[in-house]
Amino acid sequence: MKNKAILLPITVATIMAVSLDLAWSQAFKPGKQIETVVHTGPGGGSDLLARAIAEMLQKEKLVSQRLQVVNKSGGGSAVAMSYLAGKKGETHTIGFFTGVWITNPLTAAEAAVTIKDLTPVVRLVLEPAVIAVKADSPYKNVKDFIDAAKKTPKQLSQSGGSVTSRDNLMRLLIQKATGAQWNFISFPSGGERLSNLLGGHVQIMVIEPQEAGEQIRAGNLRVIAALGEKRLASLPNVPTLKEQGIDVPLIPQARGVMAPPGVPREVVQYWEGVFDRFEKTATWRRYLEQNQFEDGYLKGPGLSKFFDDLTVQMRDVLKEAGAKVVR
Amino acid sequence: MDALENLLLGFAVALTPINLFWCFVGVVLGTVVGVLPGLGPAATIAMLLPLTLKMDPATAIIALAGIFYGARYGGSTTSILLNIPGESSSVVTCLDGYQMARQGRAGAALGISAIASFVAGTVGVLGLMLIAPPLARFALRFAPPEYFALMVLGLAMVVFLAGDSMVKALLAMLVGLWLATIGTDLFTAESRFTFGQVKLLGGVDFIAATVGIFAIGEVLVNLESRGGAEIFKLAKGLRNLLPTLQDLKDCRFAFLNGSVIGFLVGALPGAGATVASFLSYGIEKAVSRHPEKFGAGAIEGVAAPEGANNADAGGALVPLLTLGIPGGNTTAILLGGLILWGYKPGPLLIQEHPQLFWGLVASMYIGNVLLLVLNLPLVPLFAQILRLPYYVLYPLILGISIVGVYSVNTSLFDVWMMGLFGLLGYFMRKLDFPTAALILGMVLGDGLERALRQSLMMSQGDITILATRPISGVLLFMAVAILCLPTIRKVRSWRAEAVEREG
Repeated sequence: MKNKAILLPITVATIMAVSLDLAWSQAFKPGKQIETVVHTGPGGGSDLLARAIAEMLQKEKLVSQRLQVVNKSGGGSAVAMSYLAGKKGETHTIGFFTGVWITNPLTAAEAAVTIKDLTPVVRLVLEPAVIAVKADSPYKNVKDFIDAAKKTPKQLSQSGGSVTSRDNLMRLLIQKATGAQWNFISFPSGGERLSNLLGGHVQIMVIEPQEAGEQIRAGNLRVIAALGEKRLASLPNVPTLKEQGIDVPLIPQARGVMAPPGVPREVVQYWEGVFDRFEKTATWRRYLEQNQFEDGYLKGPGLSKFFDDLTVQMRDVLKEAGAKVVR
Repeated sequence: MDALENLLLGFAVALTPINLFWCFVGVVLGTVVGVLPGLGPAATIAMLLPLTLKMDPATAIIALAGIFYGARYGGSTTSILLNIPGESSSVVTCLDGYQMARQGRAGAALGISAIASFVAGTVGVLGLMLIAPPLARFALRFAPPEYFALMVLGLAMVVFLAGDSMVKALLAMLVGLWLATIGTDLFTAESRFTFGQVKLLGGVDFIAATVGIFAIGEVLVNLESRGGAEIFKLAKGLRNLLPTLQDLKDCRFAFLNGSVIGFLVGALPGAGATVASFLSYGIEKAVSRHPEKFGAGAIEGVAAPEGANNADAGGALVPLLTLGIPGGNTTAILLGGLILWGYKPGPLLIQEHPQLFWGLVASMYIGNVLLLVLNLPLVPLFAQILRLPYYVLYPLILGISIVGVYSVNTSLFDVWMMGLFGLLGYFMRKLDFPTAALILGMVLGDGLERALRQSLMMSQGDITILATRPISGVLLFMAVAILCLPTIRKVRSWRAEAVEREG
């Protein structure tokens, strides 16, 4: 009985404290330039996105301070992630994540910082992908290719990124679903992947629509499948994998913003507010369209769940792929 | 003639005051970035890219491309004067450039590097203008086996980097190849030789290693050997600071060699300027009538690689502009730029936006002239740095090295690596191991291993794929021929001796 009497004032005090806290949070504004960590060198995907967003945020006057992009490349994403983890509680630091931030700690023992150690802010972009073949190739659809691959197992090849990249994981999932087998050849740069396809040295490639668009228009490439839930607006005639009878889990390629561990709630709220408004600007819409990105806007519990689910999915697929999964 | 008409259109674009101004800004910035070790054109262009959003796209690409090829001019400056490679493509320039500086010919070395850059840079633009589309199609025939053969040909150049002992050179090269394997394996995502260090997952930083081996190693050796004596001689009078007519004559072939090799290798998406500079250096020494002078201050040894890395800039734009395929870091950023400016880079770019392509081509002719005019007068000025007494010069070299290496990845770890490699460089010099052979292994190791494994994946483990394809076959044959060269020379000198003894 006595307890209840004490409880009331405590509750009141807590409510007051929280509302005070909220009042203060609305006042949070960065007071100096914002260190923006990316895991690639200058010119990498994350780097270009971060710099473009920094410029657009300023143009739209959504942030009062400059976003200073800092390249912490190395170890897949390990150097950038451990740098961000080391900035515990730091309110003026953010980072740009991509799918590597999930797969890299799963496969590299040295990469001890996982996405769970950091504070999710927003997901901004989903990068769609398509399967392309050379325009003069005999494969008109995925079935043609799968049949050919079944007839001559491990004779056909696909060019792509590292073994943990989406390109390879999609290949493994399709192989498992269909029983066909073909090679995966890693090239570190996108340019080499494409030139090996155009040169006829490999037969298929998973490619971003923006990269493929001009090659299709010039009659160099043909797209045989969209790797998404639905067809792409830019390629309305290209059926999805599912439409072609191949029902495999799709691996999203996401990009967005993280904060260091232990940052005050109001800092996350501040960024959510900024990106809520940014996401609706015409500038951002045009950028998405130019790069043929999908709008992947997601925040809060939805984003945490996205990370959890993706981690589980990746772990399974990587194990399936024969990669050494360390955590 | 179509090209001429188009070129006139290009000059009409490039010669507008605003484009001329930004071309100038670009090449000046490029020179500065090139001179400063560490800060490279890729980082600079990435930083400036958002600022160009408000510009006219033609102006923007003229300015940014200016940084790209301008940096290749500046890269040789610290290589020659301080033995600090300004860019990775200027590593080879250290070999003879720094020796020339020690012999009091710093001005000649800097001058010839500017002239070679100008000649090859211009040839590169000519090539871009005249043969870009067919060359890009030819480059598509390069698959992993061809790259493997190209890398082997590059490794064969070790013959020309060896001093007295071939065995020592080969050992150094093998260590270099091993260093290149450190980091995450692209094919299995496993870590190799990282000793649990996160910072090593991405491999050993090339700039940290080369600056350590060349600059720090050299300082350590000199600190030990000097007794207050001057290390550098410097010619009096400004006129003696520039290359002589004889120098230019000596470099005739080097200009040609650098231009052609640089441009062709540049057009291959998987090679790069550093490979081009090593190849042209090797070729230069192979055809030279006095190969023994290489490594001891041969002026052709500066002209060829410096030419090659400038022609490479023109070559690198070939796949980018004709196919929308970026070959390297910097061209990848330019590709991002084209998208931001509202273009769709791809096979139809030149056809649909002639003013962009031809404006860029014309601006590169102008830019190269500007760079020559800008760089030649700077030669005597830069050369004055060698008048500094050693107790000022050495701390200066150390300072520039540390700042430069730190700024590449803003990583203190890299600075420690540089120190470690400095020690390695010191001991290699003491024990008479050729440091350049180690660097060669490091440059080519990654590409070599990758191409080999990719080839074997293509062929299901059948090793004959490496030699049975026409282009790779020819390249491998050339590599074998080069490797046999020292033996042939030896046999010849034995014969000569034998004849002498008999006679």
